[in-house]
Amino acid sequence: MPGGIPYEQARARYRAGADLPLPAAPTPVAELLKAHHPDHGPNAHVPLAVGVNRGDPCQPEIARQLQANALIDDVDIAGVEMHTTDVLVIGGGGAGCAAALTAAAQGAQVILATKLRLGDSNTVMAEGGIQAAVGADDSLQLHFEDTLRAGHFRAEPELVAQMVRDGPDVIRWLIRLGMSFDLEDDRPIGGKLLRKKPGGASAARILSYRDYTGLEMMRVLREAVDLEPGVAVWNRCPVVELLSDERGRCAGAVIYNLEWRCFVLVRARAVILATGGAGRLHLNRFPTSNHYGATADGLVLAYRSGARLRELDSFQYHPTGIAYPSHLAGGLVSEAARSAGARLINGHGERFIDELQPRDVVASAILRECAEGRGIERAGQLGVFLDTPSLELAQPGILAKRLVTLRHLAHKCGHDAAEEPFLVTPTLHYQNGGVAIDKDGASGVAGLFCVGEASGGLHGRNRLMGNALLDILSMGRRAGAKAAQSAGSWISGRAGIGHVHAWQRELTLAGLPLHVKAPLLFPSYAHFDLRADAGLRAGTPARTIGGVR
Amino acid sequence: MDRVRLSIEGRAIEAPAASSILQACVLAGQTLVEGVGCMGQGVCGSCRVMVRRAGGREVRTQLACETPIEEGMQVAFVDYFSESVRHVYRIEDLGDSWDALRRVGEVFPEAAHCRHCGGCDTACPKGLEVQKGVNLAVDGELSAASRVFDECVMCNLCTLACPEHIRPNHLGLFVRRMIAAHTLRPSDLMRRLAEIESGEMTIVLDAPGARPPG
Repeated sequence: MPGGIPYEQARARYRAGADLPLPAAPTPVAELLKAHHPDHGPNAHVPLAVGVNRGDPCQPEIARQLQANALIDDVDIAGVEMHTTDVLVIGGGGAGCAAALTAAAQGAQVILATKLRLGDSNTVMAEGGIQAAVGADDSLQLHFEDTLRAGHFRAEPELVAQMVRDGPDVIRWLIRLGMSFDLEDDRPIGGKLLRKKPGGASAARILSYRDYTGLEMMRVLREAVDLEPGVAVWNRCPVVELLSDERGRCAGAVIYNLEWRCFVLVRARAVILATGGAGRLHLNRFPTSNHYGATADGLVLAYRSGARLRELDSFQYHPTGIAYPSHLAGGLVSEAARSAGARLINGHGERFIDELQPRDVVASAILRECAEGRGIERAGQLGVFLDTPSLELAQPGILAKRLVTLRHLAHKCGHDAAEEPFLVTPTLHYQNGGVAIDKDGASGVAGLFCVGEASGGLHGRNRLMGNALLDILSMGRRAGAKAAQSAGSWISGRAGIGHVHAWQRELTLAGLPLHVKAPLLFPSYAHFDLRADAGLRAGTPARTIGGVR
Repeated sequence: MDRVRLSIEGRAIEAPAASSILQACVLAGQTLVEGVGCMGQGVCGSCRVMVRRAGGREVRTQLACETPIEEGMQVAFVDYFSESVRHVYRIEDLGDSWDALRRVGEVFPEAAHCRHCGGCDTACPKGLEVQKGVNLAVDGELSAASRVFDECVMCNLCTLACPEHIRPNHLGLFVRRMIAAHTLRPSDLMRRLAEIESGEMTIVLDAPGARPPG
């Protein structure tokens, strides 16, 4: 990476409150993305060699995961404990909780298995808010068109329309569960919801709770799930493989219990994958804003069992990840800052992009500044300034009142957000594509649903701020309701990993190695080896922090 | 970069200064598959640790992702737990909001037994005035109580600390949920819901704005 302008020099040039114009002749969006977005370029994708999407372009690290062998074989699951349920939800974030709550409300018996702990997810980390077109100056149509445009018209219009139409009802559902939202004034009855405008939208449509909307949402959903007698929560239980019957239908899953260090089989009438994204694979060597468990597990398992995927070469890099200090790299400064009016400034003290453009455009512009020597360099870290001091000058008190998390974050970085700008650079944030689904969240494999970030088709090639929280609840509830209809129905007599054997043949025919295994379950730096942990490999026993009981 | 030596789960490790406890674990090659979630944002409440600093006697509870390491620090993870006895309620079944005070007492009967020991305040890694929040809820000052728990990340450390089994963070969340579910009725949301449900507002799938330009 080329050097930038030394921080001291850039800082001396910076003036809070300075009047800075936007560039007179901005680079056309298509050109900017092509030249600087990580989705583009000669090494940005490879064609898949096996599976339903053979020949389709895929991000190289994702391709490596998708074209890997299973973690287990028949012998590992012979005679292990087995459970049966109506609905198995895999993943304990917002999408999984919405699915579990809805399925249980319809009388289905639900097991929710999660790799870490219920609620540990990207949902809890969401700051900015959730989109729902409630304003008098807004409409479902505007929300629909904004979403399609931001996604470069690659999203599925019918799925988008359904999600957008669900928006206001999702907000009502959340309020009924006890979630709070910011109001324009302090009138809970008959007042108006506080609305913010996301980058790339044509009306103010972001509803929020402070700048920790995801935390507020997740603590309510987690409590609701925990108190719901129809849902059994299995913490620390990652799924390592799906089960299939003789007709290729999804019949359940193989789960690894990290606490007991053993495999468990769950046979289910319907399986809902809500495993989230892939940030912790650090694609293209980017830092990530994602939580620790975001390792594309659901994507890998769905593909191996025969589900079609889409937009696998498209990821979102959030423009404003922390660049300095390095130990906080990847952490997010919420879009709420730019949404409220914070500007981006390069090493020459200039603005270089309309900050309220969609995320892919703003991120590409920052990467361009850094690549062309106008970035700011501090202790080896390269980025641009996010101008929070001018924001505070223009709207005194905003940092203390509305951008609480941002202020805390500045403190962790060692500065006062009202005095010093942040040094920011794009961070891997979101998987735009995923498992192709229909309007109920059903994948191409019978009995297998997929919702939330692991699914694809709702955001095209770029997601708008606030549409992820809407997506997970809209689709989570729909998949939960549909899956619950299977309650009490006939359950296949056979359940095994026949699809894995077919997959291994395919890999061999394509000349791919069988020793590369997936899903990863934990980031490479977690130092976790499933086979060693389960006692299936000779050698030193695995160590687990906090696992000494 | 300077190195710092400390002990995590009884194991001596070394990591670069300015690392958080979680980063130190990972950088030192330890296996880390529990007690971790958001990895730095401090919102998931999973990485609960007990920390004793060099030369000190006091053991503090903190979040490992937010706590920088120090020379000679001793760290032990606090496992999550699931309790056999719970304060069970369904937010949909809370009924008449005139009964709000009575419901607090019914669902959280222990809250009135607060000994004012301050254990919850000491345990809170976010520095919330937990005990005050509990007392306000018991006194019926529900709005004030809810504000105390506004930034709670549900790490459950106060619940672990309370000798009366009050489960303060769950009480706080109960009050916050009850207030939202009972009082939040935004006019713009109600109007838009009515427009959608009556069929007055619809989406035109093939409108010009839904197609790529040109």
